[in-house]
Parts: sequence; structure tokens; C-alpha cells
Amino acid sequence: MRTVFEIARTDLRIIFQDRSIWLNIVVIPVILSFVVGFANGAGATAPPTTSTLLVDVLDNDSSDRSAQFFDEVRAANATIVLCPLDNTDDDICQLAGAALDETLAESRLSSQEALALIEIPAGFGAQIDAGEPVAIGYRSSEDAFAPSFILQAVQSAAQQIGGTAIAATVGTQVADDIEYLLFVDDADRAAFTETIRSEAASIWATDPVNVEYTASDFDSETLVNRGGGGFSQSIPGMATMYVMFAIFPAAAALIRERQQWTLQRLATMPVSRAQILGGKMLARFALGIVQYAIIFAFGVFLGVRYGNDPIALALLMATFTLCITALTLALTTVLRNEAQAAGVALFLSLTLAPLGGAWWPLDIVPDWMRTVGHLSPVAWVMDGYRSLIFLDGNLGTVIVPLLVLLGLTVVFFVIGVRRFQYS
Amino acid sequence: MDAIVEVRDLAKQFKRQNGEAFFAVDGVDLDIMRGEIFSLLGPNGAGKTTTIAMISGLLNPTRGSATIGGHSIIDDPIAAKKLLGVIPQEIALYPTLTARQNLEFFGRMYDLDGAELRTRVDEVLEFIDLTDRQHDKVETFSGGMKRRVNIGVGLLHNPQLLYMDEPTVGIDPQNRRRILDTVVRLRDEKQMTVLYTSHLMEEVQQISDRVGIIDHGKIIALGTVGDLIHKIGEEDRLVFKVGDQAVPEALLERFKAEVEGVSSATYEKLEIKGENGDAPVDIRSTSSLQIADGTITVMAQRGRKALPDLLQIANQAGLDVLSVEVREPDLEAVFLSMTGRALRD
Ligand SMILES: Nc1ncnc2c1ncn2[C@@H]1O[C@H](COP(=O)(O)OP(=O)(O)OP(=O)(O)O)[C@@H](O)[C@H]1O
Ligand SMILES: [Mg+2]
Repeated sequence: MRTVFEIARTDLRIIFQDRSIWLNIVVIPVILSFVVGFANGAGATAPPTTSTLLVDVLDNDSSDRSAQFFDEVRAANATIVLCPLDNTDDDICQLAGAALDETLAESRLSSQEALALIEIPAGFGAQIDAGEPVAIGYRSSEDAFAPSFILQAVQSAAQQIGGTAIAATVGTQVADDIEYLLFVDDADRAAFTETIRSEAASIWATDPVNVEYTASDFDSETLVNRGGGGFSQSIPGMATMYVMFAIFPAAAALIRERQQWTLQRLATMPVSRAQILGGKMLARFALGIVQYAIIFAFGVFLGVRYGNDPIALALLMATFTLCITALTLALTTVLRNEAQAAGVALFLSLTLAPLGGAWWPLDIVPDWMRTVGHLSPVAWVMDGYRSLIFLDGNLGTVIVPLLVLLGLTVVFFVIGVRRFQYS
Repeated sequence: MDAIVEVRDLAKQFKRQNGEAFFAVDGVDLDIMRGEIFSLLGPNGAGKTTTIAMISGLLNPTRGSATIGGHSIIDDPIAAKKLLGVIPQEIALYPTLTARQNLEFFGRMYDLDGAELRTRVDEVLEFIDLTDRQHDKVETFSGGMKRRVNIGVGLLHNPQLLYMDEPTVGIDPQNRRRILDTVVRLRDEKQMTVLYTSHLMEEVQQISDRVGIIDHGKIIALGTVGDLIHKIGEEDRLVFKVGDQAVPEALLERFKAEVEGVSSATYEKLEIKGENGDAPVDIRSTSSLQIADGTITVMAQRGRKALPDLLQIANQAGLDVLSVEVREPDLEAVFLSMTGRALRD
């Protein structure tokens, strides 16, 4: 075993001697995970320091209904700060004492001080109570930061307001139609309507439809709410691709060692083939794990949360890394020269990654592509990460990906070790 | 004396590019005795490296067996390899590591560690005379220095047996001398057994206790240098250069008849060859010409003694001898006589 570690240590020493390794395992993957995460809608998350989303409000109605509507918006997303309603003493709205009017709101929106503008028309409450259709004005800033989930919160609130209003209106109308149920006076009638409305609102709050809505976290728009946003996809995806970038070069390195005869020299020494290959593979495995750790740590910084089962997460990382290491060993036995190895490594990384859902979630591709994609080990490990990160999964929910990856690992190792030749 | 290496009917089959199978090593039998320098001499492609690869556990033989100190290299490779140091033909070092890092790494493969490792590395660096450059990367070394590190790695664990595969290839004469001295010192001072391969007969002749001549994967002659030369007779070869002068057959007859010990005399006339050695050539269209002087080759029992008489007869015949060379019998001659080809082509 000491020999194995010694071989691995020396390989790592040689790998890290080349300073450009830092570019390859830190700088580029970190930038890429950020850019890809951003493009995938991660922009939706504000930078971690400002965990509030400023949304301007022009309330031309100032009714109970509009107040109720704003409550619903706040309830739908706690990070939304409605300005000027929710302004704090230290002026979180950055209004500097100015009153928000149409012009100011306009300029705040275009300068992206506020991410969105909600405009409640006059007569909003009355129209709702009358059961008439009413339009809420919603505009978001052009910037990529304009998060789709502010709109979502607004829509959700509107739906609730609309829904309770409809229930109340319908209830009242039904009451009106039933002749023997006569209201004593208008106040009595209004009280009845109000009772129905609040009844409806409380039903709505526990309504299965509403639960359904929360569960729709599965779709990428609402995923954002769980922290990390698009980064929750890009971080594991890019990390997985970069793990391949870190490990596949082992094939070229082994071929180089064959050409420079150091491998043959080792073979004439009192070390077994298992020790030699074990050491070489251990070095790359360690590099792969380091690569994962670097990008996942960057993810933490971006606010990505990795679910609640760190052991399952670690197992996924380790198994995938092992699988790629074994695949590399198997590849080494069929490749002839360094250039070929470099080409194949690049080709494999750039096909296995997107095919397996490292670039975009596999739920957005057609079924057949998803099926084909699962030929790639990447698809399985990504399934595992998605289960942990988005669905609050645990060891039990990632057991299938783990077993598939382990199976592949064994197959690749057997091929690799059997076929491997020193010269 | 007992044998430390025993090789029996060793053979290796390879496939050529065109898929045709051939034996690079074909039924080699060898016994290498403790404490001797045994050389495998053969031209490029004779199968020296392939033989070494098989008896060092690097390559599986197609058939046959080899043991080192009684341990089969196939069935008990680790025990066999512990006795063995290998200095490959290639510079088998990590170019981006320093000389010392290379030595330390390979030393650990022989289970050396701690203070013992440090001492051994120091001793080896001293031995290969690179103590002052030990912290430089190998890639910054000259060819000769790399060779020395390459040799040093093989000596780290003070092996009883050392394989050296053409360690002088690409080395200038001064460094070559040094390496040859090293080999002899290892035998004399450390009682190491050395298996040495080369395609250069001079060095083999200088250092070897015994020699095996290998050609096309077969050992075609084996014994001490003296034995081998004795086998082909001990005649000297005298070569007279005569330029473009014509040499009558009668003169050659007189050499044989009148000078004691002369067994044959032959004449080759002056030849002009083109760049690629072909004749005939169109001189005007050829940029470089090789002119091979006309030569008379005389084989004689004791060449130096016959020389004055031969020169006198040539003089009388009006022949102007430009130069004379007396070649004592050597391994080159042995190879030539056994294969009809020169060792170096
Ligand atoms: N892996 C291989 N596959 C196919 N042919 C090979 C292989 N290795 C060696 N050969 C061939 O086997 C023959 C013997 O090669 P080997 O390297 O043993 O010769 P050598 O005596 O060491 O020559 P040199 O003096 O040039 O080093 C050559 O014809 C060579 O081309
Ligand atoms: Mg050779």
C-alpha cells in the first residue's frame, strides 16, 4: 500500500508542478459554472449579500383588497420587499425620502434600482368585489436579474385574490337568488359576503391546488426559490464535466510514461501491476475529488444548497469519479498515442457531459434523448444530484444511480486491468 | 561458479505492421554466472532488448522460461525482481523531477526508506558524479548526464545482478569510457553480475568475461572473446590501399607463394559511388561522391611479421602502396564469418 501511495504522490507532484493546473481546475471551471448558471436563469438569485428583491408599488386604489393582494405577494416570496410600503428606517427601498410616483418608478425600473413595478389601478377593490375582471400592471426591468419568480409571486397573489373574490361573489349571488334567504339589510348582506370571502381564503390556503403549486418546485422556475437558482444545475453539471477534464488526461499521461519508458522501468521493479495501476489511478481519483470539491465549494458561495444527505452526496461524487477513472484506464488500453488520447478525452468530455445533462437539465430534452443520455455515466450522477438538491432526496433515492455507476466502474476496471500492457 | 540467471528456450513472437508473425527472440538458452560480465552482442534489431524485457519481467515470453537466483520471473516475479537492477536502453526518468527526486522515487519502489534511502541516494549521486546537480530537473541535463542518472537508478538497491541495455548509445567517447570503467568497477568492487548488451564490438571485447552473439533472435556463438576468435582461426587481416593503380593477378600469386603464413590475397579495384552508394553513377548529376580506393586484402597467420616481405614484393612490382592496416582478429570478424554480414550496417 505504501508503494501505491508513493506512486500516486509522485504523479500528483508532477501534475501540480505545472502551474497551469490551477487555471484548469480552479479559474476556468469556476468562471464557466458561473456563466452557465447565469445563462440558465441563476441570475434570478440576487447576489447573496442583497437577499432582498426591491419591487416598486403604485397603489392607486389603497383599498383592503390591494392590501390583501400585497400580503399575498409577500407570502408568496419572503425575499420581496415592496416599496415604499415595506420601507425600513434605514431606507432599504433607497427612496431617500422621495415619494414614489409614476416618473420616479419609471426611472428606478430602467436604472434597475427596482426589479419590477406593480401598479394597482383605481377601483381595484370595488371591481373585484363586483366580480368584474381587473388588470394589475406588472413590468419588470430588462435586466437579466429581473427574476421570473417575482412575476410568479404576483401571479400567485392575483390568483388567490381572484379566487377568493370569485368564491365570495358567487356565494353572495347564490344567496341573492335563494329567495327565502333574505338579508336584513345591506350591512347584513356585506357581512355575509365577507364571511364567505374569508372562508374561501382560508380554504384556499389549505387548498390542494395550492399544495400542488408548492410541489411544482420541480420546474426550474420555482426551483430558484430553494437557493442557488440556475447554479443548482450548473454547479453539479460543470463540476461533473470538469472532473472528466481532470481525469481523462491520465490516458495521455500513461501513454507518455510508456514512451518515456518510466512505466516499463516500474514494471522491472519489485512492484505488482496492481500497485502500479492502483497508484496511477489513485492520483487521478484524488485530482477528480479535488476538482469536485473546488466547484462545489464555489457553489456554496453562490448559495447553492446540496440537500440534506451529505453522505449520499459524497458517495455520488466518489462513485462518479471512480467510474471515470476506470473508464480512463480502459481507454488507455485501446489508444495508441498521446495525440489520439487527447482528442478522445476532449470528444468524450464534450459528448458525455451534454448528453448526460451536465449543461442543461435532462427534463427539457425529448424522451428519446433522455433515454440515450443515460448511456452516459454523467446522466446517472446528475440524476443523483438533482434528487438530492431539488427533491430533498437521500441515500435511498440515489441508490439506483450509485449502483449503476458502480456497475460501470467494475466493467471498466476489469477491461482496463485485463487489457493493460506495459509496452 | 553457479548461474544467477538461467534462460531456457526463451522466445517471443511479435506481429509486423502487415500482420505477419515473426520471432524477435527465438529459442535463447543462456546461463549467466555470478560475478561475470556477460555481453549480448548483436546488430540493431537482433533481439537484445526483447530478451532483456522478458528476463526482467516486463514482457511475457511466448515460450520458454527464465529464473533469477532460482526464482522464476514468470511465477515469482517480485522475488526475482528484488535481486535485479535494470538500466534500460531508453532514458527512463521523469524529466520534470530533479535527479534526486527521481532517485528517491525509484528507491522507494525497492522498499528503501528514511535514512537508508537518503544514504543510498547520496552514494549513488556520488558514484555517478552528479552530487552538485542533484536538485536540477533532469530535463535540463545533457545527454551524458541523463545517461548517468539512468544508470544510477539501476544501482540504488545494490542489486546482485544488473542488466545494462546499450548504456553507451549516443554518448561521446569520453563518457563512454567512463561508463565502461563503471561496469568493470561494479564487477570488481561490488561483485555484481552484469548482463551487458551492445552492438559495438570494441566495448564488448574490452569488458566482457563472456559474450553471446545474437542475430535474428538466436544466439549464434557463445564463449569468451578468446574462444570466439579462436573458432574462426587467428589470422590477421592486412589491408593495403593502392588508389587507382592496377594490380596484376601475378602479384597476388607471388604474395601467397613467397611470404610465409599468407593464406589468401584478394584485390578490389577502385570504385566510385554516388550518394546512396550505388554504382554506376552519372558523375555530373551527383553532388557527392565516395571514392573507395583499390585495396589488396591479405590474410596471414602472423601479419606483422609478413608485412616487410609483402611491401618489398609490391615495391619490386612497381606498386605504390598508399597505406597499410593490420587488423587483428576481433568479434567483428567473428560476426562477419558467421553471418556473412558486418555488425554495423
Ligand atoms: N512491441 C513490438 N512489436 C512488434 N515488433 C517488435 C516489438 N518490439 C520489438 N520488435 C521487433 O523485434 C525485433 C527485435 O527488437 P529489439 O528491440 O529486441 O532489438 P535490439 O537487439 O534491442 O536492437 P537495438 O540494438 O536497435 O536496440 C526488431 O525487429 C523489432 O522491430
Ligand atoms: Mg535494444
